[in-house]
Amino acid sequence: MKYFTRIAAFLLLFFALHASAQDEKKKKVTLTGDMGVWYEGYGLDKTPEQSTPNFYQPRKPWNSLRYSFNPSITYGKWSIPVNFNFSMLQNNFLTPVTSGKQSIWQFLTNPANNFGISPKIGTTEILLGTQNLHYSDLSTGDLGIFGYGVNLSPGKFRIKLFNGVSQRPIDYVAPTILPPDPGIIGSYQRNQWMAQLGMEKEGKYFVGFNFVHAVDERNSVTSPPLTPIDPQENTIISFLATATTGNGWNYHVELGQSFHTRDLNTPLSIIPVEDFKPFMNAHTSTNKDNAVMLGLAKKGKDWEIGGKFNYYGAGYFSAGYPFMSNDRMEYLANTHFNAWKKKINVVASIGQRFGNLSLTSGPNITKQLIANANVFTQFNDNFSLNASFNNFGFNSADISGYKSVSNELSINPSYTWNTATMSNLISATYTWSKYDETIIIPASVTQNNTQTVLLLYVPTFFKAKINPDLSVMWFRNTAPSINLTLLTATGGMTWKAGKKINLKSQLQYNLSTTAPFTANKNILVTGGFDWEIYKKLTWQLLLTGNLYSYGTELPGNSLIPVYPSDPRYIESSIRTGLQYKF
Amino acid sequence: MQATEMKKYYLVIIIMLCLGRVSNAQISLNLALNSRPQPWLADWASPVNGVMVITLIQSAIQVDPAIKIRTTLLDQNGATVGISNINAARVYLLKPGVNQFTIADALQLQNLNLNGSVRILLQRTGRLAAGQYQLMVEITNTAGDVVRTKQTKPFFVASYQLPILMQPTNGSELDAHIAQSVITFRWTALVPSNELPTYRVQVFEILSGQTPMQAFRGNRPLLDEQAIKGTTQYIWRPNLPMLDSTANKRFIWTVQTLDIKGAPIPTADMNIQGRSEPAIFGIINQTGLNKKNDPVKQ
Repeated sequence: MKYFTRIAAFLLLFFALHASAQDEKKKKVTLTGDMGVWYEGYGLDKTPEQSTPNFYQPRKPWNSLRYSFNPSITYGKWSIPVNFNFSMLQNNFLTPVTSGKQSIWQFLTNPANNFGISPKIGTTEILLGTQNLHYSDLSTGDLGIFGYGVNLSPGKFRIKLFNGVSQRPIDYVAPTILPPDPGIIGSYQRNQWMAQLGMEKEGKYFVGFNFVHAVDERNSVTSPPLTPIDPQENTIISFLATATTGNGWNYHVELGQSFHTRDLNTPLSIIPVEDFKPFMNAHTSTNKDNAVMLGLAKKGKDWEIGGKFNYYGAGYFSAGYPFMSNDRMEYLANTHFNAWKKKINVVASIGQRFGNLSLTSGPNITKQLIANANVFTQFNDNFSLNASFNNFGFNSADISGYKSVSNELSINPSYTWNTATMSNLISATYTWSKYDETIIIPASVTQNNTQTVLLLYVPTFFKAKINPDLSVMWFRNTAPSINLTLLTATGGMTWKAGKKINLKSQLQYNLSTTAPFTANKNILVTGGFDWEIYKKLTWQLLLTGNLYSYGTELPGNSLIPVYPSDPRYIESSIRTGLQYKF
Repeated sequence: MQATEMKKYYLVIIIMLCLGRVSNAQISLNLALNSRPQPWLADWASPVNGVMVITLIQSAIQVDPAIKIRTTLLDQNGATVGISNINAARVYLLKPGVNQFTIADALQLQNLNLNGSVRILLQRTGRLAAGQYQLMVEITNTAGDVVRTKQTKPFFVASYQLPILMQPTNGSELDAHIAQSVITFRWTALVPSNELPTYRVQVFEILSGQTPMQAFRGNRPLLDEQAIKGTTQYIWRPNLPMLDSTANKRFIWTVQTLDIKGAPIPTADMNIQGRSEPAIFGIINQTGLNKKNDPVKQ
């Protein structure tokens, strides 16, 4: 709760400092931005309702209600952007939820919610509440952090400071068998301090240092999470430099070093790593490692070519990017250019990624090849062709000799023609995909072959208010234990029923066959409208029904209790939103 | 009579052997080290890595209960990788009977002098290179010049690298006409892939006004399904109205990797519960109804 006091004190100080700096002549208030409310209701009716196994699980919360309030207020020299986006309900899955009602603090720091205000005057910007701050790719930038801070940009200097909470405190709750309850794994409150000091000339260069320190507050929970969710501490220092020259060259360099204590409960020790004074006292679980990012690109009139190199040491950890995978090195060359009087557009990249450089996961490094190419050709006003090719290859480091290779080729010709009353588009897509996985010990080869064909016809009537859309898709995936075929027919229609209202609907029929079973059948029906109620107020509504009936893949007599017919389910949803633009 | 005499002799011999054993081996060591301990050496205090038991049996001849521990870490060829500094070793005063220690006490990480490259790797990662090692523990007198008992145990250590998401790639755009019926997910295998892990594919919808990470950390997944054991591909049949303008056009996905017991694969930060670095993909309606462009960058 100390953050509330700090935020209030920070706000008062800021307003006091700038009260005399306001320009009395320009005190006109303007309001831009938007606000809205979105609701989604979900329903699932299964037949039979109760069975073992439970053949289908609900995939959405029964009710979901979100609010957004994003005005940007300008008053004289002030601009005050507000970014509120929140829900009263807890639908967290990846981060733990509270066992009962969440406290105000837990509500504010819930990663699902965003409460941010960033008043700005001149070269001073105050950051309050939830902020998604991207300092750099090696320091911090992934998470919403609730706290307070400031961005100052006097002249060429750039000074950024922020302190907040990136992970909310949740008490551990033990799982129980009766009643069956998985419990709550819990989490410590993670406090984060961030700073950036640099020099910048916008569009030309930036050079500076980033500092990020994060620490889990051990007394933030009354019932702490169990090992291995241990309190941690992390400090990152990075040097960042970017430059753009007048003749189209772009440079990017970042060098980072991280200090990371995996468990603050381990003994204090200067082995294996010495203290990083005054920020961190080293423990036996502390390590430090480095990361490097380099980029170079040259842009021409109709072309661009570039390359990048990234290295992340095996012990490099950033609390600002907790999901970042480390112990890897990668390089990538990419290009795009136009040719044949700009009728051909080519985008291509090729690169390689090496993993397990530390050899802590096996005796050899892993290798991954990444290659992509996309060629679009507009032959004439009527005919165009898009072709793309992707290749991913991966070799594992261990004695199993694991190897996977993915190749995918896609071709998409499109033809349009016009008559006096209508325009027609016919488009086809064929995709061939092969995915092979090989293990030497024990010997095993899995070959996945996938083909997809899509045919699409879109007539557009110049004078009619109705526009239909028809498509047919065929998909087949074959693997040693799988022979899956999908056949989907889709028809859609929009109808401009009035000046301010668009009605829309779609019907999709889908046959899904896993040999040797009979097909599962599925009908998806949607209908709704986009309605501009007033000039600034719009209402969107979409109703969806999804009826799914199983074939012999899931016979009713395989369920307990036995069901005499084919099991099926109906999913229904209503999704609606009101949005007001200031 | 001869048989009775012989029995007496045998009894005397057995008693003398026992007495001799007590007087020569009043300190015994049992190093119960997990053959596959946790890869981070700082975690070795955890009971999951095993336990070291030193038993002191006092007899008529009193022995000094003060001891020191000398630790030697050897590679699979028997070459020394690291050795503890006996002068700086802690003096333990054994109580009669069983004295229990953690494996961290046996390892003495804070007092272990590792060879150059191993020391640097430990500084960088807190781990050893994957492979077979031997832990030799010697119980010495306080001067460190008399070894009273010792034991050597082999162990294998390896840490894991989580899968990297391959398809859909980060920032890619999928055709709505296909994606509303089928989306194929592929990822690299867990390294090392000796055991068959469980992969769970999780897809989160990025709702209006949300950042991708906000959706990832705050929403419930639309898809949370297990791939067929041993495969690194999952074919999702969404059956969602992705052609419509109110339907969301952005998703963030990941793979959660679980070990053979269903526990998340250990990583530097266990708050992530074995989830790989996520990737974002968008759905675009390139032709037809409600045509929109580039949802990923919206």
